[in-house]
Amino acid sequence: MQYGLKPLGREKLWLWVMLTPTLIGLAFGTIGSLLATLVLSFYEWDLIRPPQWAGFSNYAALFQNETYIKAFSNTITFAVLYVPGVVILSLFVAVLLNRKIGGLGIFRTIYFLPTVTSAVATALVWNMIYGKDTGILNYFLESFGMSPVCWLCSNNAMMSVVIVNIWGAIGEGMIIFLAGLTAIPRDYYEAASMDGANDAQQFFKITLPLITPSIFFQTLISAINAFQAYDYIYMLTRRGQGDSTVPVAVYSIYRNAFNFFRMGTASAQAIQLALLVAVFMGIMFWWERNYVVYE
Amino acid sequence: MSSSTQKIILDILSYAILIFGAITMLFPFLWMLSVSFRIPAQQYSRSIIPDPITIQNYIDLWKNLPDHSFPYLVFNSFKISTLTAAGQLITCAMAAFAFAIVNFKGRNLLFSLLLATMMIPSQVSLIPNFIIFKYLHLIGTQWPLILPAFWGGAFGTFLLRQYFLTIPRDLVDAARIDGASLFGIFWKIYLPLSKPALAALTIFVFKDAWNDLLHPLIYLPTDMHQTTLTVGLAFFQQQLQMGGKFTVLMAGAFLSILPLLFIFFIAQKQFIEGIALSGVKR
Amino acid sequence: MKKNLFVLVIASMLLAACGGTKPATTQAKSEITFMMWGAPEEQTVWQAVVDDFHIANPNITVKVEVSDWDSYWTKLNTLIAGGTPPDVFAMDAPLYLDWQSRGALLDLQPYIDATPGFLDGIYPQTLSAYKVGNDYYGLPRDFQTIVLFYNKGMFDKAGVAYPSENWTYADLLTAAKTLTQDTNGDGKIEQYGLWTDTWDMELFWSEAIWANGGDIINNDHTKTLIGEGGARDAWSYIDSLYKEGVMPKPSTAGEYGGDLFQSGNAAMTTIGHWAVPGYVQSGIKFGVAPMPTGPAGRATSVNSAGFVVSKDSKNPDAAFEFIKFALSITGQKRLAELGFAIPVLKSVAESDSYLKQPGDLDQKVFLDSLAFAHMKPVFKGYEEWAGVVGDGLTPIWDGEAELNATLDEVIASADEVLTKNK
Repeated sequence: MQYGLKPLGREKLWLWVMLTPTLIGLAFGTIGSLLATLVLSFYEWDLIRPPQWAGFSNYAALFQNETYIKAFSNTITFAVLYVPGVVILSLFVAVLLNRKIGGLGIFRTIYFLPTVTSAVATALVWNMIYGKDTGILNYFLESFGMSPVCWLCSNNAMMSVVIVNIWGAIGEGMIIFLAGLTAIPRDYYEAASMDGANDAQQFFKITLPLITPSIFFQTLISAINAFQAYDYIYMLTRRGQGDSTVPVAVYSIYRNAFNFFRMGTASAQAIQLALLVAVFMGIMFWWERNYVVYE
Repeated sequence: MSSSTQKIILDILSYAILIFGAITMLFPFLWMLSVSFRIPAQQYSRSIIPDPITIQNYIDLWKNLPDHSFPYLVFNSFKISTLTAAGQLITCAMAAFAFAIVNFKGRNLLFSLLLATMMIPSQVSLIPNFIIFKYLHLIGTQWPLILPAFWGGAFGTFLLRQYFLTIPRDLVDAARIDGASLFGIFWKIYLPLSKPALAALTIFVFKDAWNDLLHPLIYLPTDMHQTTLTVGLAFFQQQLQMGGKFTVLMAGAFLSILPLLFIFFIAQKQFIEGIALSGVKR
Repeated sequence: MKKNLFVLVIASMLLAACGGTKPATTQAKSEITFMMWGAPEEQTVWQAVVDDFHIANPNITVKVEVSDWDSYWTKLNTLIAGGTPPDVFAMDAPLYLDWQSRGALLDLQPYIDATPGFLDGIYPQTLSAYKVGNDYYGLPRDFQTIVLFYNKGMFDKAGVAYPSENWTYADLLTAAKTLTQDTNGDGKIEQYGLWTDTWDMELFWSEAIWANGGDIINNDHTKTLIGEGGARDAWSYIDSLYKEGVMPKPSTAGEYGGDLFQSGNAAMTTIGHWAVPGYVQSGIKFGVAPMPTGPAGRATSVNSAGFVVSKDSKNPDAAFEFIKFALSITGQKRLAELGFAIPVLKSVAESDSYLKQPGDLDQKVFLDSLAFAHMKPVFKGYEEWAGVVGDGLTPIWDGEAELNATLDEVIASADEVLTKNK
């Protein structure tokens, strides 16, 4: 990334004026999130008494706690299913919509609807749809002569919550990709058409390379969302006052911090999760440097 | 096969896929709307058209919220979300421009740090952040919800940076030759050309602020005149849900998303204009 | 609105600047915050109690903040960790020791000593949960015994006699079988004989264990006893409720919202008095009976919600004044009339204020249950322990795991939690 404008003379001042709000936020966020979490991960803190130095014991404990390992591996499974699902489906929808067909506005609105709604509101209706005895989905299945499925029982729950999460995220990806697609100059396609390239060739030769910044962004954001996802999951699959039947890492963090008063453990879990995302981001940035095409 | 028949076939195929997808995307909302107009005895009915149609659930919901607090809740949510969106638009756009276009020392380091803050789940940073706001004496006010929006943000900066990177650089070079300043390039070239991305960011930020449950809960008094719609409805939801009162719950869910739909339709106009604009310029 | 915010900010800065200069005389006006969990109706209830309190104590202003259960604990933890705790807050007895042992709570003993006879009228069973050593760091405000609720309409329709006080657990199962019905003939059950929560111990499984002669935890809180002796019989009984299909699996219960008795999908449930206002509001015709008897006799669970004062409260005197009022005859009467709980003050619980509430519900059943009630256990690490047990056993009830082997695993993990929280 060696491109870039050189600020001239007094423009240096302008540059830092433009960056000031972000720098304040960065100081706040770095102290409030990164530093505090990192420091607390080496302490035991019950939120009331002064924190006690704990060395690496919080981290060591993570590898022995079976419940957490389960939650952590669930989170990874979730991400593996969710991220490609969102990126591929939303790119697909965006490309179809970018074909300048009629009713674009209506389609875009419909696909975007789930994104603007809160999980709190829509989890309730999904709960009704997924119901084993009362749900409309099983009603459809049965009217086609199939046997009803227990969508939220533990063997199907992962797939069911992944579907709801993808449903909720396609709109966001679609908007990102549509914005990216519109930035591709039309004349590229016109030139390609003249050379006799068909739609598929145009997609792979022009669209896909030029949309890589958006793909890069969407993949990374989806990954972060996947690692921190819990709202739909726990609203659909929580039983009693406890954990979900598909326990995920972030909810475990929440319970450790707010129910079990183990801020140190929660922080260590958060750092571990962040490191995983960071490794993923590192790979993505390597990919960006080598494959992402910027104008 | 001629290219025009190929286009027709592709169009038909596109429509078929899009319509099928649209039904899938829309169905939960139609169902929500349908249930919200049913009488409780028919909440599990399989028919999408309620028979009889009733608005009793909306009336019940209104009565459930004490002291006619619904307008207050909507106002608070609206105010916080609007200010949040405004703050993010301004500050993220400026930072994104710097990160995408300007070459300065420490750029990569700052940008990586910014992205790193995004990776800590808010569940753990909640308490440290709360303590910082305590020292600023802002607990119990709406400032802890609004102020951070004016401090930029990783998501918005990242989103706009990616978009700015796709804008042809020769526009900048041309402007530079004409003697345009750094800020002039930002203001006259990048902002107008980025309307689709700016509109997208507005919607994302607005809806996140609108749907936020955790932060208003922590920072605002649990008072139906001072808190947000999401917190207010969540308070009623737990009990209604236990009792299986899905008709009223669906009415509440639908009301809570209605303002967002309104915002989306407004931003959508910008969005379309933005697309048209950037299409013409090329 | 905006102006108000500025005033607030400036005011709070000024307050901070001159903090500590305020003289602590009893004449000064003081403001305290009272935070609790509860349903929206309970907010109205407590506002009424507070309004009464304001008339009696014009110098103290109490601000009531009510949240739902989950929100309450998140907010409370953040406020306390951030050093801005509410003065008085609600406590659930099983969690009390976790808070007390972390030093979050004010020792109320000096105040109690200064108020002779203060605790005399309070049910001793409810007090015992809050005593640590010789001191109270919290006081009960009301208590809940678990009883059997039944839907009169469903019983009448099925021609089943209402539950009597001679019912055994076997009678419960037999009646539940008859009452489990596919009412609309679509091949699926719409009316279950029984619904209750088997995640937490309070509503059903602790009662069943005690009635079978088992126990929950040993006296020094080092060993989980739910797999020993009679307890196993209780678990196989619960397992049979699910296997016979008279009780919806946890995954099925979710699609009805949670409380199937309230939604009209279950003929019986076991729950406490807090559910009554919601049931009344739902328009169900229902009655109550004591918990059934088991091989080892009759047993139910008693649990109490209480008040605690934050150790860092700026106005501990005013905070105690408020607790005193809530536990006075006036305050307790008000709570009794509001119908969510049973007052801890014996004279009020046995008075018409509690016993003669509107409706034909036999309020005495809740009170009489105290005679055979066991205290819901209070120990350190309760919530984590309850999570391990509740989450661990759920797969059995969903029909995805085998009872005895799973139970053994769960008990081992539960004992680990006890060791960790020692």
